[in-house]
Amino acid sequence: MSLTLIGIIGIVTLLAVLFFLGMPVGFAMSLVGFCGFWYVVSFKAAITMVGADVWTTFSKYGLTVVPLFIFLGYLAFNSGIAERLYTCAYKWFGHWRGGLAIATIGADELFAAICGSNTATAATMGAVALPQMKKYNYDTVLSSGTVVTGGTLGTVMPPSVVLIIIGLQTEQSITKLFLGGILPAILLGILFIITIFVLCRINPNLGPAGPKTGMGEKIKSLTGIIEAIAIFILVIGGLFVGLFTPTEAGAVGVFFTLIVTASTRRLTWKGLISSVKDTLKISCMVFFLVTGAIIFGRFLAITRLPFIVAEFASGLTVSPYFILGIILLIYLIGGCFMDSLGFLVLTIPIFFPLGRAFGFDPIWYAIILTMVTTMGAITPPVGVNIYVVKALAPDIELGTIFKSVSFFLLACIICIVILVIFPQIVLIIPEMAN
Amino acid sequence: MRHEANIIILDKVAKIINQMLLYIAGCFMMAMIFLASANVFFRLFWGPVRGTFELMGYFGAVVTAFALGFTQTARGHIAVDVLVQRFSKRTQRTLNSINYFICMIFFGLVAWQIGRYATTLWETGEVTETLQVIYFPFTYAVAFGCAALCLVFLTDFLKCLLEIQRGQK
Repeated sequence: MSLTLIGIIGIVTLLAVLFFLGMPVGFAMSLVGFCGFWYVVSFKAAITMVGADVWTTFSKYGLTVVPLFIFLGYLAFNSGIAERLYTCAYKWFGHWRGGLAIATIGADELFAAICGSNTATAATMGAVALPQMKKYNYDTVLSSGTVVTGGTLGTVMPPSVVLIIIGLQTEQSITKLFLGGILPAILLGILFIITIFVLCRINPNLGPAGPKTGMGEKIKSLTGIIEAIAIFILVIGGLFVGLFTPTEAGAVGVFFTLIVTASTRRLTWKGLISSVKDTLKISCMVFFLVTGAIIFGRFLAITRLPFIVAEFASGLTVSPYFILGIILLIYLIGGCFMDSLGFLVLTIPIFFPLGRAFGFDPIWYAIILTMVTTMGAITPPVGVNIYVVKALAPDIELGTIFKSVSFFLLACIICIVILVIFPQIVLIIPEMAN
Repeated sequence: MRHEANIIILDKVAKIINQMLLYIAGCFMMAMIFLASANVFFRLFWGPVRGTFELMGYFGAVVTAFALGFTQTARGHIAVDVLVQRFSKRTQRTLNSINYFICMIFFGLVAWQIGRYATTLWETGEVTETLQVIYFPFTYAVAFGCAALCLVFLTDFLKCLLEIQRGQK
């Protein structure tokens, strides 16, 4: 049997184990990678490889960035930073038609700047914004759609767990990826706001205008966003000027947040313990996803499958953007059927070399993949953010949420098209940092 | 009945072990935060804290390995259950038991292999590059974390078998 065929059988087996056994993605990749390596080389080589990879991945300095940024997000969640961000955005935009939804996106954008997870962003903002929008008679189509899609900003805006994983898997600079994500996240937020604006123009009943607030109140509310902006400037600013590594940025951000929230008594012991537990759970999941991808990647590497696919694709006489379109379509469809983060980790060993073979800038390509991965988090039936919102507001029908998401998906697609036409939107800040 | 009681005891033991490991993991994570922050602070004014780079990596290994069992008990790992959820309860239980059994064997092997590697590091007196201290205890910690995960899979597997047996009755 040829090595390429063994590689293909490995991928098919992996999918079978994933879908028919329901085995966690990280474990399934490790197991299939181990078995494939055993088949091609030997049992001794396979078990030595797995043992060494688990130990070296777990003890890798670069990966220690993961728990730190996740912890930062959970601290912000448990210390009420999100409520103050929302209150501020609400005071400024609440009196507009659809203003509460716009305020949610604005608060999402700011919260995403200190939290690296789309689920955490959706859960946090959902808990804060959904009751408010219900109070002011917002249609559930608009309220649920805003919260579900607003959460995706957490993935694109640095610090982002997805960007960290891509950086670690593809050996790209996490700092550059973080800096490259800033403008696309802002662009995506603006497109979401335009979507809300247009929807409320067409149907004003979707988001009736809220009560007006005086300028004094508006100015006063700005104090609520100071700490979030301070954390963002400290973390991303420090990275931008090269003051510290991403891991150190995470640690300093957490340290600062701990001091601020503990000294103002907004972080309770219960909140701290809960943050630690949730962080450990999510970090462990991410670590094993990365470990599994490395083990599976080793098996694929000995079959030479990624290189053969890349060589074959680069030999095609079609536009690289056609191939990019197909890759993005695969991610979109894949994201519908399995968790988008898992799908990303699974496919990076194949699709990243492919993109490089077509000469795509790695930072730009990584941001585009991140954008399409975020879409996976809001597309049915396996859109994790949808279920987060459903859990927060059980009275909203799943069908309503699916319908609402479709409006915002268009904004995501437009954002990707703009980034493809104007790659400088991604690259300008990393180039400035150079 | 006796089997059931034994499985309940085993489950409790697994939960206590993983809860203890979780607290240790939490302490190591806090240590990572203070160590990295101290390193930034001291580097700005005096000089870097020696060995921060390698200690951060080893602490990170303990954090992850000791959280493995807890994450599994909390069903925190990403899985694709779209298809499995459409099967009957009986089929789901059978598939789960196969799943747990395979994972138990796999993580048992991984724990054994990393444990062997730790023993080699101990016997050869391998030390870290900067601080020149032994690091095999961290390697043993990772092996122990994998063994704790193996124990969780064992209890999950036995519980699944018990459920299948009950279903047949």
